[in-house]
Amino acid sequence: MMNGTKNIVKKELFRVFSDKKLIFSLFILPAVMIIGMYSLMGTLFENMMTDIETHVPKTVIQNAPLGLDETINTTGFQAEINYIDNDDDVINIKEDIRNGNVDLLIVFEDKFTDKINSYKNAGDPIPEVKTFYNPSEDYSSIARSNFVEQVLGEYQQNILADRLGNIEQLQVFHIDKDPSSSTIVNEKKADGKLLSTMLPFLINIMLFAGAMGLGVDVITGEKERGTLSSMLVAPIKRSEIVFGKLISLAILSSISAAVYAFSIVIALPLMMGGIAGDVMGDIKISFTLIEMLQLLVLMLVLVYLYVALVALVAVMAKTSKEANTYVMPVYIIVMLGSLMTYMGSGQTKLEYFIIPIYNSAISMQNLLIGELTSLQFVLTVGTTALLAAIVTGLITKAFNSEKIMFNA
Amino acid sequence: MICVDNLTKVYKLSKKQMVEQKTKKNMKRAVENLTLTAKPGKIYGLLGPNGAGKTTALRCIATLLKPTEGTITVCGHDVEKSAEKVRESISFLTNEIKLDPQFSPKYLFNFFGRLHKMEETAIMERRDKLFNYFDIKDFEDKKYEELSTGMKQKASIAVSLVHDPKVVIFDEPTNGLDIVTARNVTDYLKLLKEEGKTIIISTHIMSEAEKLCDEIGIIINGKLVSEGSLEEILDSTNTKDLEDGFFELYKLHNQEVL
Repeated sequence: MMNGTKNIVKKELFRVFSDKKLIFSLFILPAVMIIGMYSLMGTLFENMMTDIETHVPKTVIQNAPLGLDETINTTGFQAEINYIDNDDDVINIKEDIRNGNVDLLIVFEDKFTDKINSYKNAGDPIPEVKTFYNPSEDYSSIARSNFVEQVLGEYQQNILADRLGNIEQLQVFHIDKDPSSSTIVNEKKADGKLLSTMLPFLINIMLFAGAMGLGVDVITGEKERGTLSSMLVAPIKRSEIVFGKLISLAILSSISAAVYAFSIVIALPLMMGGIAGDVMGDIKISFTLIEMLQLLVLMLVLVYLYVALVALVAVMAKTSKEANTYVMPVYIIVMLGSLMTYMGSGQTKLEYFIIPIYNSAISMQNLLIGELTSLQFVLTVGTTALLAAIVTGLITKAFNSEKIMFNA
Repeated sequence: MICVDNLTKVYKLSKKQMVEQKTKKNMKRAVENLTLTAKPGKIYGLLGPNGAGKTTALRCIATLLKPTEGTITVCGHDVEKSAEKVRESISFLTNEIKLDPQFSPKYLFNFFGRLHKMEETAIMERRDKLFNYFDIKDFEDKKYEELSTGMKQKASIAVSLVHDPKVVIFDEPTNGLDIVTARNVTDYLKLLKEEGKTIIISTHIMSEAEKLCDEIGIIINGKLVSEGSLEEILDSTNTKDLEDGFFELYKLHNQEVL
């Protein structure tokens, strides 16, 4: 039984590894692309951030009250400020904001300081500071939030201090003087949190994408070229051919998934470095030996299932073009199934673990936060393996069908 | 020994195929009540126009298609019940079966030898013999896709004979070959015959059938309309060469259908 399978696996692997072009396009190009793309994204993002930080916003302030310029100086708010009078027209300035030529317009109400000074009782008029900015322009929205938080906040504090004498009357109580001492977390769960939502999706997509690219060529391609029938006249069982094809595909898909995973590990810091140094900063995953074995088993049965699904579609299709069209809906189902880990967390309902594809995603998610139970693991592996076995049976049946193999 | 007894093969046609073949019936009888026997040490030639059912009949013998009715045995093994045993003892060559373009003749020869569970030394000996005979040595390490039509056919024949089978089934073996290569192939078939193999080929080349075949079966529209040695067929049709004889039969039997 195994003789035919072994020889077919050997031949399929030889085909890929003896072809420099294929090695390049399957394993090297994706790695280069991912690392290149991510570091480019990181660099671009970093440039954008530095650009915004160094930009000096053009700000127009109408009817500025006394002492505002002093506050601006002490807060260090960097801007090219143009002060205008109460009577000046602001229509053109607003148009400039819309066009991105001016970043911010601040309008202080007429007799601003007088109104503040004459305030006595509740119900007395409170003056307004009106800001005009363009949320679709990064420069503009950042200038506005900086101005409001730094300058106006400080200015208001100063006036309050003058009015009340003791500003602590307003504070009433403190919330978390030392915020870092407030958090009590399970380190493993916290670290795994971000990864546990992202990784199952990435792993699923990568495993399937690998299987998809190779599977169509190895099965539909061979059928089209007439090379598959040469094996059908050899004295081996159809199931040996099916196993040979599926196992070699699974090996190749695993390698390609490993290449993807490895490049992402290298590429992610390159990208994250640009966005914010410490988003990923301290994340470290620590696995026990059993957890690593569990992850390996999960991935192995999953990759076999995906390879089998692709192969089933590929064997039914008459042409590679047809196969590529038919395989897309399966790809979308896999994506949706694994995307669901992004929504809601900590699913513990046992029945979820018998839904193929989805169960692998949530099992990986639970594994990463250290909460995968043995029962969940067994159910997931069991249902995945069962479905894979059924699909393998269907493929063998298709290989025996003269209608499918010879269009007869 | 190949015994085909009352073989009928019916294809179900899809709607698209029905339109293509301009028929309202959703069934097509590709082969009807075909009975023939090919004996060891003889070459049986299945002669007929394109679409007559030659390839279908050979595919049924080679276990790739299942007979709708009737039985076929090859070396005593039934093609349906013990398909693997049949595949062990046959070599099947047809246009639709091609070798992997990315591999060299040498690799493919070894690969199919291993699928036939042969020992490495036995494979090497066979390879030496066949590659020498067909002059494959010079291009044995070239990729199959880089070979010329003649080289490809020679390599395919060599690979299909790796396991020294008792039965040889060649579907139009000289199709598309130049005169030298074609001669090379027919000479080898004669050699196989002398070795006592059972050989069945299909062809639409009359001269080839005349020179090569010990027994000829003429198949028209899925039915065997005449069978016998060259002389017997010429006698029965009252003609001087096979081409004339074939046309007599063709006129007679094609009218029935029309």
